[in-house]
Amino acid sequence: MKKRHAIGVAAVLFMAGVTILFGKRWAGAHVQRWTGRQDLGGVTCTHCHLQSIERMTWAKARAKHHSPAGIVVSPDGSKLFIACDDANEVVEADVRSLKVTRKLPLPGAPFGITIDAAGARLFVTCRASDRVVTVSTREFQQIDAVHVGDAPVAIAHTQTPAGERLVVANSLSDNISVLECSPLREIARPQGGREPFAVATSADGAIAFVANRLSTSEDVLAMPVSEMTMIEPAHGKLLWRHTLESAHLSEGIATLPGSTWSLMPFVKVRNLVPITQVANGWVMSSGLAIADRDGVRAELPLDEANDFFADPSGIVVDAAQQRAYIASGGGDVVSVIDLARITNWLAHADEATRLGAIRDLSLSADYVLARIATGRNPRQLALSPDGKMLFVTERLDDAVLVVDTATLKPAGRIVLGDGGLDDPIRRGERVFTSAAYTFQRQFSCRSCHPDGHVDGLAYDFDGDGIGDNMLDNRTLQGLAGTAPFKWNGKNATLEIQCGVRFARVLMRTDPIPPRELKDLAAFIEAQPPPRWERKRDQALTPPQERGKDIFFATSRPDGTPVPRERRCQTCHRPPLFTNRLPSEIGTRGARDSTNYFDTPHLLGIAHTAPYLHDGRAKTLEELWTIYQTNDLHGVTSYMNKHQLNDLVEYLKTL
Amino acid sequence: MKTKEMFRRGDASRSALGDRARSSPSPQPSPSGRGGNVRPPIADPARNASSQTALSFSLSPWGRAGVRGNGTWLLTTLGAFAVSLIGRTSLAAFVIAANLCIAADGPLPIIERFETFGAGDGIPADKVHVVFKTSQGVLWIGTWDGLCVRESNGKFRRFGPEHGLSHKMVTCIAEDKTTGDLWVGTMRGLNKMSGGRITKFLQTDSGLPNNVVYGVDVVDDTVWAATAAGTGAMNLKSGTWKMYDHNNSAMHEPWCYSIKGAKDVVYIGVWGSGILEHDPKTGSFKEYRDPDRDFHYDLVADDGPINDITSWVAWNDGILWQATYFGMSRYDGKSWKTWVQDKTPLPSNFTQFIWPVGNYAYIGHDQGASVTDGTNWVNYLIGTNGQGVVEIHRPSAPVEKRVTATSLANGFVLGIWADEREAWFATSKGLSRGVFSGTTRVANAAQGKVP
Repeated sequence: MKKRHAIGVAAVLFMAGVTILFGKRWAGAHVQRWTGRQDLGGVTCTHCHLQSIERMTWAKARAKHHSPAGIVVSPDGSKLFIACDDANEVVEADVRSLKVTRKLPLPGAPFGITIDAAGARLFVTCRASDRVVTVSTREFQQIDAVHVGDAPVAIAHTQTPAGERLVVANSLSDNISVLECSPLREIARPQGGREPFAVATSADGAIAFVANRLSTSEDVLAMPVSEMTMIEPAHGKLLWRHTLESAHLSEGIATLPGSTWSLMPFVKVRNLVPITQVANGWVMSSGLAIADRDGVRAELPLDEANDFFADPSGIVVDAAQQRAYIASGGGDVVSVIDLARITNWLAHADEATRLGAIRDLSLSADYVLARIATGRNPRQLALSPDGKMLFVTERLDDAVLVVDTATLKPAGRIVLGDGGLDDPIRRGERVFTSAAYTFQRQFSCRSCHPDGHVDGLAYDFDGDGIGDNMLDNRTLQGLAGTAPFKWNGKNATLEIQCGVRFARVLMRTDPIPPRELKDLAAFIEAQPPPRWERKRDQALTPPQERGKDIFFATSRPDGTPVPRERRCQTCHRPPLFTNRLPSEIGTRGARDSTNYFDTPHLLGIAHTAPYLHDGRAKTLEELWTIYQTNDLHGVTSYMNKHQLNDLVEYLKTL
Repeated sequence: MKTKEMFRRGDASRSALGDRARSSPSPQPSPSGRGGNVRPPIADPARNASSQTALSFSLSPWGRAGVRGNGTWLLTTLGAFAVSLIGRTSLAAFVIAANLCIAADGPLPIIERFETFGAGDGIPADKVHVVFKTSQGVLWIGTWDGLCVRESNGKFRRFGPEHGLSHKMVTCIAEDKTTGDLWVGTMRGLNKMSGGRITKFLQTDSGLPNNVVYGVDVVDDTVWAATAAGTGAMNLKSGTWKMYDHNNSAMHEPWCYSIKGAKDVVYIGVWGSGILEHDPKTGSFKEYRDPDRDFHYDLVADDGPINDITSWVAWNDGILWQATYFGMSRYDGKSWKTWVQDKTPLPSNFTQFIWPVGNYAYIGHDQGASVTDGTNWVNYLIGTNGQGVVEIHRPSAPVEKRVTATSLANGFVLGIWADEREAWFATSKGLSRGVFSGTTRVANAAQGKVP
């Protein structure tokens, strides 16, 4: 009996061994068959199979917070209106009591907000639903709505000779909507720069100034330029498009009544120098651009020689006091700027001095009157009509700080939420947006990844100090489930990616503590690809359907099979559109040490230009028209222009 | 003698109008850049109008060929009288105005003289391919060597590849009147000039079908580009491209030479495929082909498009115009009309550009330019000695032929822009501006109404 039992056990073990042995061999052959490579180690089934969108952190429900986005004060100064995009609410607060008085549920992530001159109507941009909504301040109800461009963020109301106008910055479609107010109607949609993000109008309504958050460059090794767009609000005509060199992240803009100036905070980014130069303060600094209709007049530093105030965002101007207040989202301060001193300085500075001033960090002492400490992540500002109270959104504290402008001291807070300290994603966002973890607080994670996305630049991370081995900045949106990380795929987890080595190479300071690092990873993994829910539910157009067929094609139109390892879907395997393995697509550059680069996911690919590991391709088309090598990056040499256009249209739906 | 007399009259009339622009004494470019010293600024018609005295109220701002007869003489005279009273002008002014209005009843403007512009005015190349005036009154030209804008001092400022233009050879220009953006086609890509910045669209980095862009137009939210390998349409809001060629439309050949937006439809002029009418809403295509399909002869007149080799297509006020190298044709929605040089006043079958104004059109060909409403014709040709030759054709009347001191810069006219105040001509050897007869002396002389 025992003998039979032993034989049975041995048979089972033998069969199991045989199964494992052959299973492993089959799996190895399967991987080789599909990738064409024999040198891959550690490939699991989950690289290509058993993935689902629903299991991704970013696809799951998460806690919502009353993070204040846009704010506006009523013309009589009695009310403050706050758009809370995460909570899908517009909130009314009483300025005297600092209490929330009314709440209006408004789906679609209300973000920017403005009010008409009479204080009767609020106009709110809904970033997620691409709408502008009119809200009656008396009934506190929605009374009108209109569709605009993609992801509207900022909005300004102005009176023009042709009537009331709204100017809306559409951040994702890179254009500007000009609307009539009653009823809401879009009359023009001129093109902006990349990611229009802030709007201000001149007092006479003749010009609207639009700040664009991201920069563009003709070539990966060319100096990036961002744009200040000026349009005529009455009819929506484009007037001028002025450029700022080596500048980006302009998220606020204001005009100075009584002058021709517009004031725009920005980040002076020097991505073409090796990132090792962080220690010398050469990579990023904050500045204030002063421009008029003829162009940028001066670029002034907001930082100090050994102390930086990262991520300048909202700006508000007090013409009577000749002051500007600028929020530093990464530095948790509001800088108070003396505009009269700047005017005096400009009067005596020649053009070279004015445009080169951004390099002289000692200059800020001449016109920065004070730095007002705030809660976490101050982003937007508003001033009471009499200029006596400054309102500062503390976005990651769910509060609005009230500052007495006479004393420049806090005078109270309007509390919107609990700050979300129990939520690791919220805690992680605090880490993500804070400059406290970098050398001299020069920048935050957000400085390169606004909203967890890309800044459209390539940086040199090599320690050789030469500065011409660029790496494209990759989006953090939709990153969950796509490990490993880095273009060489050597970081297995986000904790490793953002850990000690990163601190040594980039941040040049102590690593992020483990608990904060864990929260940071939780925040990053919670970042969804742009508009994924909408794209998922949207039916494909005929060109997109044809493009999809090309993406999943196993043979050319003439019937010639496409080798498995050259099919789009092999490396960009759905649902994440990556097999998480390094691939050779013939893009090795002169200073690259490998032929193989991590296969990026394609979710939201339309919004992540430039492309390839070093950002050499400006558009999706260029991947196959200019940088395709011997059909290594998919078999595309048979394609005509129709097929290429269809493929690109499909990729834009991911 | 007659020519000299008319020229003197012209000088006198210019003086009366305060027009300081100097007429070129020679049709050929001069090293000094003819008349460049005191040329009017960009929006000169408006300025001229505003600078005129009360006399100008009763003047038609352009000369008219009195080819419709003078049935409206009484009305126009009374009108002139009324205006002169309102304007408190002198009786003498009224008399002059009334006389001038005699000739201001016809549909076709008469060009009294030509001003020419070349290297001395900042134009970088002899070959001017296209001329375009925006809704804001800014004049742009596309040349063999760059895009130019005429500045307030009358000089042209050049934009080339070093300023971001995709190629130096500019072929076509259109305006997005909503935003004021300018779309510029070149031999290598399409460009958007917006607020002083140029954005390129190439076949390698966008959905543009082909880099050789022959025609461009903006219709609502879409920019249309006629290229050497099909027509492309980019939605300006979404950035999405559509492309039409012989693979997915009624096109028999992919060579699209021209594109023009009309009411609800777009007309595509296709070399070898006639004219395509495309309805973007339904996605449908309708062909207009030469019924006799003969490439060299129009066997049956007025039976349809004159030829399938379309070199240009234009549309205005419900009238479709087609230029070909074998004559030209017009379609009013009901019937076709065709013209060939042997049987009609059209001076040359080699037509390459049409610019409609109201119900008449300017035609650019290899002998100069013509203007017609379909019945009457005025041809601007160049004589053997370089003098201007104006032919006026009226039905049932002998051709009136006159010689003028100035002429087009060159007889090979590649592009035209005109309104009811002036006409600009892009030629193979410079740019010309046609100045309409401010006093209509030429028209009056043509009608024999002025002694």
